[in-house]
Amino acid sequence: MIGRVGLSLIAHELLERTRDRWVLVVSVLFALLASGASLYGQSAGAAADALTGPSLVTLVSLLVPLVGGILGHDAIVGERERNTLGLLLSLPVTRVEVVLAKYLGRLAALAGAVFFGLGAAAIVGGGGQFTVLVSLFWPTLLLGATFLSIGVLISSITARQVTAASTVVALWFGFVFFYDLGLLALLVATDGAVSQEVIAQLVYANPAGLFRIEMMAHFAGPEVLEGLGMTVGLPSAWASVCIWGAWTIAPVALSVVALNRSGRSR
Amino acid sequence: MKRIDLEHVSVRFGEVQALSDVSTSISSGEVVMLAGPNGAGKSTLLKVVLGLLEVDDCVMRVDGEHTRPDRSFKKHLGYLPESVAFAESLTGQQVLRFFARARGVAPEQITTVLRRVGLTSAGHRAIRGYSHGMRQRLGLAIAILGDPALLILDEPTGGLDQEGLAVLWGVLAEWRAKGRFVLLSSHDLTLLERRVDRICLLCDGRLLVDASPSELRERAALPVRVSFDVGENTTAFADALAVAGYVEQRDPQNGGISVMVPPHGLLGVLDVRSRFNGTVRQVRVEEPGLDAVYECLLNRGTTSGNGGRVL
Repeated sequence: MIGRVGLSLIAHELLERTRDRWVLVVSVLFALLASGASLYGQSAGAAADALTGPSLVTLVSLLVPLVGGILGHDAIVGERERNTLGLLLSLPVTRVEVVLAKYLGRLAALAGAVFFGLGAAAIVGGGGQFTVLVSLFWPTLLLGATFLSIGVLISSITARQVTAASTVVALWFGFVFFYDLGLLALLVATDGAVSQEVIAQLVYANPAGLFRIEMMAHFAGPEVLEGLGMTVGLPSAWASVCIWGAWTIAPVALSVVALNRSGRSR
Repeated sequence: MKRIDLEHVSVRFGEVQALSDVSTSISSGEVVMLAGPNGAGKSTLLKVVLGLLEVDDCVMRVDGEHTRPDRSFKKHLGYLPESVAFAESLTGQQVLRFFARARGVAPEQITTVLRRVGLTSAGHRAIRGYSHGMRQRLGLAIAILGDPALLILDEPTGGLDQEGLAVLWGVLAEWRAKGRFVLLSSHDLTLLERRVDRICLLCDGRLLVDASPSELRERAALPVRVSFDVGENTTAFADALAVAGYVEQRDPQNGGISVMVPPHGLLGVLDVRSRFNGTVRQVRVEEPGLDAVYECLLNRGTTSGNGGRVL
């Protein structure tokens, strides 16, 4: 699927991101905040895991979607603005490869930032919280990959980088803050007529919400859902895989479609 | 590769007909220039050749064989986009290293092309410190990396200083000498006049004319300026020119006389001059600039009823 040009592009994307000051600043910020959460958990002594896990889940669910989205926002539109998209596509490479390589290169940079952040927290928090941080790594990366995918899609359909950045930030607000408020408003407006199942499905349809619920349940047990007012259980493993898969793959696939459409006369 | 033919290229973007039934060819060792006003379709035609734009009703032939701009064709391409910019945080060498890896070119060639475009000392510096001309030269270095058979240059003279232009002329001469192909688009007719073999003049997506620079002059048939350095008896000479039907234009700088003459009327002027051998010390014939030829052909093309084609 990915040939020599694609592999070179992945390495080049990773190199470019490591030279990106914004990525470096956000990685350091994430590491500092994660270390803070880890230190806070450590102060609880024996109950450190129960405190560190949920604290980090909250931090990750707020910060990582923004990092992922911003990492992806200029993948295509940035090349277009610099007049290098044509140069890339003039290489012996397909549009699918270009989008995939851009996505994977940036995903590698995101993995590095997450590893750095959680690694710093592990070092600061000592060996006791190592399991918590390890169990958080892959889900955090998955959450970031989802928003990275959305960012890449936005970069494929916008004409200017500044529009792409604003759209990513607006979507971040939407997914992370306003989505749950919207559900609450729905409940209030319908006076509870909307069933718990529907509300739960709507919560699970939001990757940021699904991450929060799944990880909270993982660290604090399924009873935490009741505390959150959710009387419906977690989605099945298959449903979860489907939701995460759809959110990660569909935007990348759609950005390939968008890039293909831009290369056709009509 | 000996010859590339493009036949009946038509491209439409919604309501806009960007290219309309354009056919042209490029032979080995030829430098072909696409000229025309903004929106004429020059870049669109380059994009078709590069495979950046898929068109249904276009036939591209390489040595007579129907070819699509696919992976195997793109291996022979080198491309310089217009006003190209690169990631500011990377160095010139890092950018070239990526393109070298992507094209399967030996890393040693990076040093060679950097030297070729005069960026040896700047190669290790971040691109944010490059001037516009240096960025353009880096773009040119990327285009020639791996010695591609077909070089496609979109507005290659933009931002280049004399040194940069010399590099570009060297590249064009080398590609011509090695029997490769160069297809470029530019507004700089005067600069490129002596560097290109053929000019395809486009307007509103139509090919108005496809000819060598000298053929273009012939077709435009614009008057040439004949200047005389006159010693004595200036008035008599001027009167003789007026009698022969030439409108005199005095040169206030050196007191000389000049007349505008149709290309086929030169003999008549020289005949007048032969009668004043002692008076006229020097004769200078100036052809109109290619820019004037371009304007003339463009005007004829847009006003002719012959599908815009200038015959």
